[in-house]
Amino acid sequence: MAADQRIDGYAAAIVEVAKAEGELARVGDELFRIARAFESSSELRDALTDPRLPTELKKGVVDDLLGSRASALSVSLVNFVVSVGMSSELPAIADRLAERAAAERNKVIAEVRTAIELDDETVDRLTTSLSRATGKDVEIKTVVDPSVVGGVVAKVGDVVIDGSLSHRMQEIQKTLTRR
Amino acid sequence: MIQFLAPLVILAEEAAVEESGGIDLLLPETSELIAGFIAFSIIFVFVWKWVLPAADQALAARQEAITGKLTQAEGAKQEAESLLNDYKEQLARAKGEANEIVDDARQTADALRADLVGKAEAEADSIRGKAREDAAAEKDRAAGQIRDEVASLSLELAQKVVAGSVDESAQRTLVDRYIDDLGSLEP
Repeated sequence: MAADQRIDGYAAAIVEVAKAEGELARVGDELFRIARAFESSSELRDALTDPRLPTELKKGVVDDLLGSRASALSVSLVNFVVSVGMSSELPAIADRLAERAAAERNKVIAEVRTAIELDDETVDRLTTSLSRATGKDVEIKTVVDPSVVGGVVAKVGDVVIDGSLSHRMQEIQKTLTRR
Repeated sequence: MIQFLAPLVILAEEAAVEESGGIDLLLPETSELIAGFIAFSIIFVFVWKWVLPAADQALAARQEAITGKLTQAEGAKQEAESLLNDYKEQLARAKGEANEIVDDARQTADALRADLVGKAEAEADSIRGKAREDAAAEKDRAAGQIRDEVASLSLELAQKVVAGSVDESAQRTLVDRYIDDLGSLEP
């Protein structure tokens, strides 16, 4: 519970900073993507969470990787999280930040995983369909995940709507093994 | 008494020898007869009065003793025969009881053997049944394991094949179908 409160506290602090800078939507989106990259890259994760590495070196890694791909504010906020020793909680903080940023706009986050990058038109159609299906005004965060193989996996809060090929294959496997 | 009368007899004989001759020598003198009669009478009375009763008494006692012994012997014989009969009866009863005991023991042994054989057969059946069940369970488990393995390998292969065969266009189609399917969901 204490860790959860700390995550929530850092997320709230970052939201306030981003709001003050007028970049809440952008920062929320960039930190969400950085968090997904953190989750999928074991090398990045190991580099930022290794307790033997000095904080300055970790900040250097963040600058090298994100300097040209994210806004200066986002990079600064990631460095802030790394410097306070919360690197391992970066995905949770980013998720909480995205939720808070969406809540500021009276929306909920829908994490959408696909095997390919989605174009804006498709994202808009997905947003409309998911909002109608869940009864909530959703804001989509897309994640490219090759393990999906094909189709879409959408997660809105605790609800998961899985229309991926990997899920169907797993269903087939369950059917085969149940016989 | 005889010793007391002997000198009188001798004196009477001497007087008779002196006074008679011929046939008289063969005949006893009157005094001798009298003395003999008196002696005989005395002896007879003595014998009649004391010896015979004593002899009768002794004989009666003897007879009574013999009769008693005979009676006792008869009793002992009867008792012996009774005892013999008792022994024979006891022996017969003991033989009967022994036979019953032997029969009981045989029956008990038969029942015990039948019981043990029954139990052994039941246990053997149980072990055979358990072994069959175990073998069947092991077979099912192995079959399930093989099935799971085949399913897992098939899925892995299918994923690789599908991942390689799903091109950009197919990906777009799958996403579009997903969006269409969302339309059928109720909030």
